[in-house]
Amino acid sequence: MNTPELESILKKARTPEISADSLEMFPRLIAAHLKRNDPAIRAARNFSPRLVWAFGLAACAVIAFAIGHWSGRLETGTIPATDSVASLKLIREMAAMFPNRVRAIVQDERGLNLVLSDNDDVPVSPALYVHICDGKHCSSLVTFSGQEIQVAGQKLTVLADAHGGIILEGSQLLWSSTEPIYSGNHLKIEAKNLGPIPL
Amino acid sequence: MAVDDESKLVESSLSGDPEAYATLVHQHQKMIRALTFRMTGSLDDAKELAQEAFLHAYQRLGSFGGGSKFSTWLCKIAINLSLDWRRRESRRDDIHSKWAADVDSENNPGDGFPDELSRRVQEALNRLPVKERAAIVLTIYEGQSHAEAAKTLGCAEATISWRVFAARQKLKRFLQDLPHEHA
Repeated sequence: MNTPELESILKKARTPEISADSLEMFPRLIAAHLKRNDPAIRAARNFSPRLVWAFGLAACAVIAFAIGHWSGRLETGTIPATDSVASLKLIREMAAMFPNRVRAIVQDERGLNLVLSDNDDVPVSPALYVHICDGKHCSSLVTFSGQEIQVAGQKLTVLADAHGGIILEGSQLLWSSTEPIYSGNHLKIEAKNLGPIPL
Repeated sequence: MAVDDESKLVESSLSGDPEAYATLVHQHQKMIRALTFRMTGSLDDAKELAQEAFLHAYQRLGSFGGGSKFSTWLCKIAINLSLDWRRRESRRDDIHSKWAADVDSENNPGDGFPDELSRRVQEALNRLPVKERAAIVLTIYEGQSHAEAAKTLGCAEATISWRVFAARQKLKRFLQDLPHEHA
Protein backbone atom coordinates (compact mmCIF):
# COMPACT_ATOMS: atom_id res chain seq x y z
CA MET A 1 0.00 0.00 0.00
CA ASN A 2 1.47 3.38 -0.97
CA THR A 3 0.88 6.73 0.74
CA PRO A 4 -1.85 8.06 -1.64
CA GLU A 5 -3.71 4.73 -1.25
CA LEU A 6 -3.47 4.98 2.54
CA GLU A 7 -4.70 8.60 2.51
CA SER A 8 -7.60 7.62 0.27
CA ILE A 9 -8.62 4.88 2.73
CA LEU A 10 -8.32 7.23 5.72
CA LYS A 11 -10.43 9.89 4.01
CA LYS A 12 -13.15 7.40 3.14
CA ALA A 13 -13.55 6.42 6.80
CA ARG A 14 -16.53 8.09 8.48
CA THR A 15 -17.39 8.45 12.14
CA PRO A 16 -20.61 6.95 13.54
CA GLU A 17 -23.72 8.99 12.90
CA ILE A 18 -24.76 11.14 15.88
CA SER A 19 -28.50 11.00 16.47
CA ALA A 20 -30.61 14.04 15.66
CA ASP A 21 -31.74 14.15 19.29
CA SER A 22 -28.19 14.31 20.53
CA LEU A 23 -27.30 17.03 18.02
CA GLU A 24 -30.29 19.08 19.15
CA MET A 25 -29.70 18.55 22.87
CA PHE A 26 -25.97 19.15 22.90
CA PRO A 27 -26.01 22.98 22.36
CA ARG A 28 -28.84 23.25 24.91
CA LEU A 29 -26.78 21.37 27.47
CA ILE A 30 -23.88 23.76 26.93
CA ALA A 31 -26.18 26.79 27.19
CA ALA A 32 -27.77 25.43 30.38
CA HIS A 33 -24.35 24.85 31.91
CA LEU A 34 -23.28 28.38 31.01
CA LYS A 35 -26.42 29.90 32.50
CA ARG A 36 -25.75 28.06 35.76
CA ASN A 37 -22.08 29.01 35.91
CA ASP A 38 -21.90 32.30 34.04
CA PRO A 39 -20.78 34.55 36.94
CA ALA A 40 -17.83 32.27 37.71
CA ILE A 41 -16.88 31.98 34.04
CA ARG A 42 -17.07 35.72 33.54
CA ALA A 43 -14.89 36.26 36.59
CA ALA A 44 -12.34 33.81 35.18
CA ARG A 45 -12.49 35.48 31.78
CA ASN A 46 -12.03 38.94 33.27
CA PHE A 47 -9.04 37.91 35.37
CA SER A 48 -6.64 40.86 35.26
CA PRO A 49 -4.15 40.59 32.36
CA ARG A 50 -1.68 42.57 34.48
CA LEU A 51 -1.70 39.83 37.09
CA VAL A 52 -1.23 37.22 34.36
CA TRP A 53 1.80 39.13 33.08
CA ALA A 54 3.21 39.51 36.57
CA PHE A 55 2.90 35.79 37.25
CA GLY A 56 4.30 35.02 33.81
CA LEU A 57 7.36 37.22 34.32
CA ALA A 58 7.99 35.75 37.76
CA ALA A 59 7.74 32.22 36.36
CA CYS A 60 10.12 33.11 33.49
CA ALA A 61 12.66 34.49 35.97
CA VAL A 62 12.54 31.29 38.03
CA ILE A 63 12.83 29.08 34.93
CA ALA A 64 15.72 31.15 33.52
CA PHE A 65 17.54 30.88 36.84
CA ALA A 66 16.96 27.12 36.96
CA ILE A 67 18.17 26.64 33.38
CA GLY A 68 21.28 28.73 34.01
CA HIS A 69 22.00 26.86 37.19
CA TRP A 70 21.52 23.38 35.80
CA SER A 71 22.52 23.67 32.15
CA GLY A 72 26.15 22.72 32.79
CA ARG A 73 25.10 19.59 34.64
CA LEU A 74 22.56 18.64 32.00
CA GLU A 75 25.09 18.97 29.17
CA THR A 76 27.63 16.69 30.78
CA GLY A 77 24.91 14.41 32.09
CA THR A 78 23.73 13.38 28.60
CA ILE A 79 26.51 10.83 28.32
CA PRO A 80 27.49 8.97 31.50
CA ALA A 81 31.11 9.61 32.49
CA THR A 82 31.66 5.83 32.64
CA ASP A 83 30.94 5.53 28.91
CA SER A 84 34.47 5.38 27.54
CA VAL A 85 32.93 4.41 24.22
CA ALA A 86 31.96 8.06 23.70
CA SER A 87 35.53 9.23 24.17
CA LEU A 88 36.49 11.27 21.10
CA LYS A 89 40.12 10.19 21.55
CA LEU A 90 39.15 6.50 21.37
CA ILE A 91 36.93 7.00 18.31
CA ARG A 92 39.62 9.05 16.56
CA GLU A 93 42.30 6.43 17.24
CA MET A 94 40.09 3.56 16.04
CA ALA A 95 39.12 5.48 12.92
CA ALA A 96 42.80 6.24 12.21
CA MET A 97 43.82 2.62 12.77
CA PHE A 98 41.05 1.20 10.55
CA PRO A 99 40.14 3.93 8.05
CA ASN A 100 36.59 3.55 6.61
CA ARG A 101 36.18 0.20 8.35
CA VAL A 102 34.86 1.09 11.81
CA ARG A 103 31.14 0.28 11.83
CA ALA A 104 30.66 0.57 15.60
CA ILE A 105 32.43 0.64 18.95
CA VAL A 106 30.24 -1.16 21.46
CA GLN A 107 30.46 -1.21 25.24
CA ASP A 108 28.31 -3.66 27.20
CA GLU A 109 28.62 -6.13 30.09
CA ARG A 110 31.27 -8.04 28.12
CA GLY A 111 33.46 -4.97 27.75
CA LEU A 112 34.53 -2.89 24.78
CA ASN A 113 34.11 -4.38 21.28
CA LEU A 114 35.08 -3.06 17.90
CA VAL A 115 32.83 -3.94 14.94
CA LEU A 116 34.72 -3.66 11.65
CA SER A 117 33.57 -3.90 8.06
CA ASP A 118 35.40 -6.49 5.89
CA ASN A 119 36.11 -3.77 3.33
CA ASP A 120 36.94 -0.08 3.69
CA ASP A 121 33.42 0.92 2.66
CA VAL A 122 32.14 2.81 5.70
CA PRO A 123 31.54 6.40 4.55
CA VAL A 124 32.91 9.27 6.63
CA SER A 125 30.04 10.80 8.62
CA PRO A 126 29.41 12.29 12.07
CA ALA A 127 29.77 9.88 15.00
CA LEU A 128 26.49 8.93 16.65
CA TYR A 129 26.32 7.87 20.29
CA VAL A 130 23.49 5.48 21.29
CA HIS A 131 22.70 4.11 24.75
CA ILE A 132 20.09 1.33 24.93
CA CYS A 133 18.79 -0.42 28.03
CA ASP A 134 16.71 -3.58 27.85
CA GLY A 135 15.69 -3.93 31.49
CA LYS A 136 18.93 -4.12 33.45
CA HIS A 137 21.08 -4.89 30.38
CA CYS A 138 22.55 -1.76 28.84
CA SER A 139 24.76 -1.20 25.81
CA SER A 140 26.49 1.96 24.71
CA LEU A 141 27.89 2.36 21.26
CA VAL A 142 29.30 4.82 18.83
CA THR A 143 28.45 4.25 15.19
CA PHE A 144 27.91 6.17 11.98
CA SER A 145 24.83 7.03 9.93
CA GLY A 146 23.57 4.15 7.81
CA GLN A 147 25.18 1.40 9.87
CA GLU A 148 23.21 -1.63 10.99
CA ILE A 149 23.79 -2.67 14.60
CA GLN A 150 22.61 -5.60 16.69
CA VAL A 151 21.46 -4.63 20.18
CA ALA A 152 18.99 -6.14 22.65
CA GLY A 153 18.31 -8.96 20.19
CA GLN A 154 17.24 -6.55 17.45
CA LYS A 155 18.86 -5.42 14.22
CA LEU A 156 18.64 -1.65 14.03
CA THR A 157 19.72 0.81 11.36
CA VAL A 158 21.09 4.04 12.82
CA LEU A 159 20.43 7.16 10.76
CA ALA A 160 21.24 10.85 11.24
CA ASP A 161 18.89 13.46 9.80
CA ALA A 162 19.85 16.81 8.33
CA HIS A 163 19.19 18.62 11.62
CA GLY A 164 21.44 16.45 13.79
CA GLY A 165 18.61 14.22 15.02
CA ILE A 166 19.06 10.45 15.23
CA ILE A 167 16.64 7.79 14.01
CA LEU A 168 16.74 4.09 14.92
CA GLU A 169 14.83 1.81 12.61
CA GLY A 170 14.22 -1.91 13.03
CA SER A 171 11.54 -4.44 12.17
CA GLN A 172 9.82 -3.89 15.55
CA LEU A 173 11.04 -0.42 16.42
CA LEU A 174 11.04 3.10 15.10
CA TRP A 175 12.63 5.71 17.37
CA SER A 176 13.72 9.28 16.88
CA SER A 177 15.72 11.54 19.18
CA THR A 178 13.29 14.36 18.34
CA GLU A 179 10.36 12.16 19.42
CA PRO A 180 11.98 9.91 22.04
CA ILE A 181 8.78 8.41 23.47
CA TYR A 182 7.30 5.53 21.53
CA SER A 183 4.87 2.81 22.40
CA GLY A 184 4.94 -0.94 22.14
CA ASN A 185 8.52 -1.42 23.19
CA HIS A 186 10.27 -1.78 26.50
CA LEU A 187 13.67 -0.41 25.48
CA LYS A 188 15.04 2.79 27.03
CA ILE A 189 17.02 4.69 24.43
CA GLU A 190 19.18 7.80 24.48
CA ALA A 191 21.16 9.12 21.54
CA LYS A 192 23.40 12.05 20.74
CA ASN A 193 25.10 13.27 17.59
CA LEU A 194 28.82 13.65 18.48
CA GLY A 195 29.56 15.50 15.23
CA PRO A 196 32.45 14.97 12.80
CA ILE A 197 35.51 13.20 14.22
CA PRO A 198 38.66 15.10 13.16
CA LEU A 199 41.56 12.73 12.39
CA MET B 1 -21.90 30.56 7.98
CA ALA B 2 -20.79 34.10 7.03
CA VAL B 3 -17.80 35.41 8.95
CA ASP B 4 -19.80 38.54 9.92
CA ASP B 5 -22.56 36.41 11.45
CA GLU B 6 -19.96 34.39 13.32
CA SER B 7 -18.27 37.56 14.62
CA LYS B 8 -21.63 38.86 15.84
CA LEU B 9 -22.33 35.58 17.62
CA VAL B 10 -18.89 35.71 19.25
CA GLU B 11 -19.53 39.31 20.35
CA SER B 12 -22.95 38.43 21.76
CA SER B 13 -21.47 35.44 23.58
CA LEU B 14 -18.78 37.65 25.04
CA SER B 15 -21.38 40.05 26.35
CA GLY B 16 -23.01 37.16 28.21
CA ASP B 17 -25.58 35.67 25.85
CA PRO B 18 -25.47 31.85 26.25
CA GLU B 19 -28.06 31.43 23.49
CA ALA B 20 -25.72 33.09 20.99
CA TYR B 21 -22.99 30.73 22.09
CA ALA B 22 -25.39 27.77 21.77
CA THR B 23 -25.84 28.77 18.12
CA LEU B 24 -22.07 28.68 17.64
CA VAL B 25 -21.99 25.27 19.32
CA HIS B 26 -24.76 24.08 17.01
CA GLN B 27 -22.76 25.20 13.97
CA HIS B 28 -19.51 23.53 14.97
CA GLN B 29 -20.50 20.52 17.06
CA LYS B 30 -20.32 17.94 14.25
CA MET B 31 -16.75 18.91 13.39
CA ILE B 32 -15.61 18.94 17.02
CA ARG B 33 -17.41 15.72 17.95
CA ALA B 34 -15.90 13.95 14.92
CA LEU B 35 -12.44 15.17 15.94
CA THR B 36 -12.81 14.05 19.56
CA PHE B 37 -14.24 10.71 18.40
CA ARG B 38 -11.21 10.07 16.18
CA MET B 39 -8.99 10.92 19.15
CA THR B 40 -10.81 8.72 21.70
CA GLY B 41 -12.57 6.00 19.69
CA SER B 42 -15.59 6.24 21.99
CA LEU B 43 -18.81 8.19 21.36
CA ASP B 44 -19.38 8.85 25.06
CA ASP B 45 -15.85 10.11 25.66
CA ALA B 46 -16.02 12.14 22.46
CA LYS B 47 -19.20 13.87 23.63
CA GLU B 48 -17.72 14.58 27.06
CA LEU B 49 -14.55 15.99 25.54
CA ALA B 50 -16.47 18.09 23.02
CA GLN B 51 -18.51 19.54 25.87
CA GLU B 52 -15.31 20.30 27.76
CA ALA B 53 -13.86 21.94 24.64
CA PHE B 54 -16.87 24.21 24.10
CA LEU B 55 -16.94 25.27 27.76
CA HIS B 56 -13.21 25.87 27.70
CA ALA B 57 -13.60 27.95 24.53
CA TYR B 58 -16.38 30.03 26.13
CA GLN B 59 -14.14 30.82 29.10
CA ARG B 60 -11.39 31.96 26.75
CA LEU B 61 -13.55 33.65 24.16
CA GLY B 62 -11.90 36.97 25.02
CA SER B 63 -8.60 35.65 23.67
CA PHE B 64 -10.11 34.73 20.29
CA GLY B 65 -8.90 37.69 18.30
CA GLY B 66 -10.50 36.70 15.00
CA GLY B 67 -7.03 36.29 13.45
CA SER B 68 -7.94 32.73 12.52
CA LYS B 69 -11.25 31.07 11.76
CA PHE B 70 -13.39 30.28 14.79
CA SER B 71 -13.42 26.61 13.72
CA THR B 72 -9.59 26.51 13.63
CA TRP B 73 -9.41 28.07 17.08
CA LEU B 74 -11.96 25.56 18.42
CA CYS B 75 -10.11 22.69 16.79
CA LYS B 76 -6.90 23.76 18.56
CA ILE B 77 -8.66 23.73 21.93
CA ALA B 78 -10.32 20.36 21.27
CA ILE B 79 -7.20 18.55 20.06
CA ASN B 80 -5.10 19.80 22.97
CA LEU B 81 -7.81 18.80 25.44
CA SER B 82 -7.86 15.37 23.77
CA LEU B 83 -4.13 15.01 24.36
CA ASP B 84 -4.56 16.00 28.02
CA TRP B 85 -7.48 13.61 28.31
CA ARG B 86 -5.29 10.74 27.05
CA ARG B 87 -2.70 11.61 29.68
CA ARG B 88 -5.35 11.70 32.41
CA GLU B 89 -6.76 8.38 31.19
CA SER B 90 -3.27 6.83 31.17
CA ARG B 91 -2.72 7.88 34.76
CA ARG B 92 -6.13 6.54 35.74
CA ASP B 93 -5.31 3.24 34.00
CA ASP B 94 -2.02 3.04 35.90
CA ILE B 95 -3.76 3.56 39.22
CA HIS B 96 -6.65 1.23 38.47
CA SER B 97 -4.72 -1.31 36.43
CA LYS B 98 -7.04 -4.10 37.43
CA TRP B 99 -9.81 -2.33 35.53
CA ALA B 100 -7.63 -1.71 32.51
CA ALA B 101 -9.35 -4.39 30.47
CA ASP B 102 -12.73 -2.80 31.13
CA VAL B 103 -11.43 0.63 30.16
CA ASP B 104 -9.97 -0.81 26.94
CA SER B 105 -13.24 -2.40 26.01
CA GLU B 106 -15.06 0.89 26.64
CA ASN B 107 -12.66 2.65 24.32
CA ASN B 108 -12.87 0.08 21.56
CA PRO B 109 -15.00 1.25 18.73
CA GLY B 110 -18.31 -0.48 18.98
CA ASP B 111 -21.34 -0.49 16.72
CA GLY B 112 -22.63 2.52 14.91
CA PHE B 113 -20.03 2.72 12.17
CA PRO B 114 -21.53 3.25 8.74
CA ASP B 115 -19.32 0.53 7.23
CA GLU B 116 -16.53 -1.95 7.92
CA LEU B 117 -13.84 0.31 6.45
CA SER B 118 -14.71 3.10 8.90
CA ARG B 119 -14.55 0.69 11.82
CA ARG B 120 -11.19 -0.73 10.72
CA VAL B 121 -9.68 2.72 10.24
CA GLN B 122 -10.81 3.84 13.71
CA GLU B 123 -9.36 0.66 15.24
CA ALA B 124 -6.07 1.43 13.50
CA LEU B 125 -6.13 5.06 14.70
CA ASN B 126 -6.74 3.83 18.26
CA ARG B 127 -3.54 1.77 18.08
CA LEU B 128 -1.38 4.81 17.24
CA PRO B 129 0.46 6.72 19.96
CA VAL B 130 -1.73 9.68 20.79
CA LYS B 131 0.57 12.38 19.40
CA GLU B 132 0.86 10.55 16.08
CA ARG B 133 -2.93 10.15 16.06
CA ALA B 134 -3.34 13.89 16.61
CA ALA B 135 -0.98 14.61 13.70
CA ILE B 136 -3.03 12.35 11.41
CA VAL B 137 -6.37 13.79 12.59
CA LEU B 138 -5.19 17.36 11.93
CA THR B 139 -3.50 16.76 8.59
CA ILE B 140 -5.88 14.20 7.06
CA TYR B 141 -9.27 14.99 8.57
CA GLU B 142 -8.93 18.71 9.34
CA GLY B 143 -6.94 19.35 6.18
CA GLN B 144 -4.21 21.29 7.96
CA SER B 145 -0.74 21.66 6.48
CA HIS B 146 2.19 20.41 8.56
CA ALA B 147 2.98 24.05 9.46
CA GLU B 148 -0.61 24.67 10.62
CA ALA B 149 -0.72 21.42 12.60
CA ALA B 150 2.59 22.39 14.24
CA LYS B 151 1.04 25.71 15.29
CA THR B 152 -2.07 23.93 16.60
CA LEU B 153 -0.06 21.50 18.70
CA GLY B 154 2.67 23.97 19.66
CA CYS B 155 5.60 22.00 18.25
CA ALA B 156 8.09 22.19 15.37
CA GLU B 157 6.96 21.50 11.81
CA ALA B 158 9.66 18.82 11.55
CA THR B 159 8.13 17.08 14.56
CA ILE B 160 4.74 16.93 12.82
CA SER B 161 6.37 15.63 9.63
CA TRP B 162 8.08 12.94 11.63
CA ARG B 163 4.88 11.97 13.48
CA VAL B 164 2.92 11.81 10.22
CA PHE B 165 5.65 9.67 8.65
CA ALA B 166 5.77 7.28 11.62
CA ALA B 167 1.96 7.09 11.82
CA ARG B 168 1.65 6.34 8.09
CA GLN B 169 4.12 3.45 8.38
CA LYS B 170 2.08 1.94 11.20
CA LEU B 171 -1.29 2.55 9.55
CA LYS B 172 -0.09 0.86 6.36
CA ARG B 173 0.82 -2.16 8.44
CA PHE B 174 -2.44 -2.17 10.42
CA LEU B 175 -4.58 -1.79 7.29
CA GLN B 176 -2.57 -3.88 4.84
CA ASP B 177 -5.19 -6.65 4.67
CA LEU B 178 -7.99 -4.29 3.55
CA PRO B 179 -9.35 -5.26 0.12
CA HIS B 180 -7.78 -3.25 -2.71
CA GLU B 181 -11.06 -1.69 -3.86
CA HIS B 182 -10.97 0.54 -0.76
CA ALA B 183 -7.75 2.28 -1.85
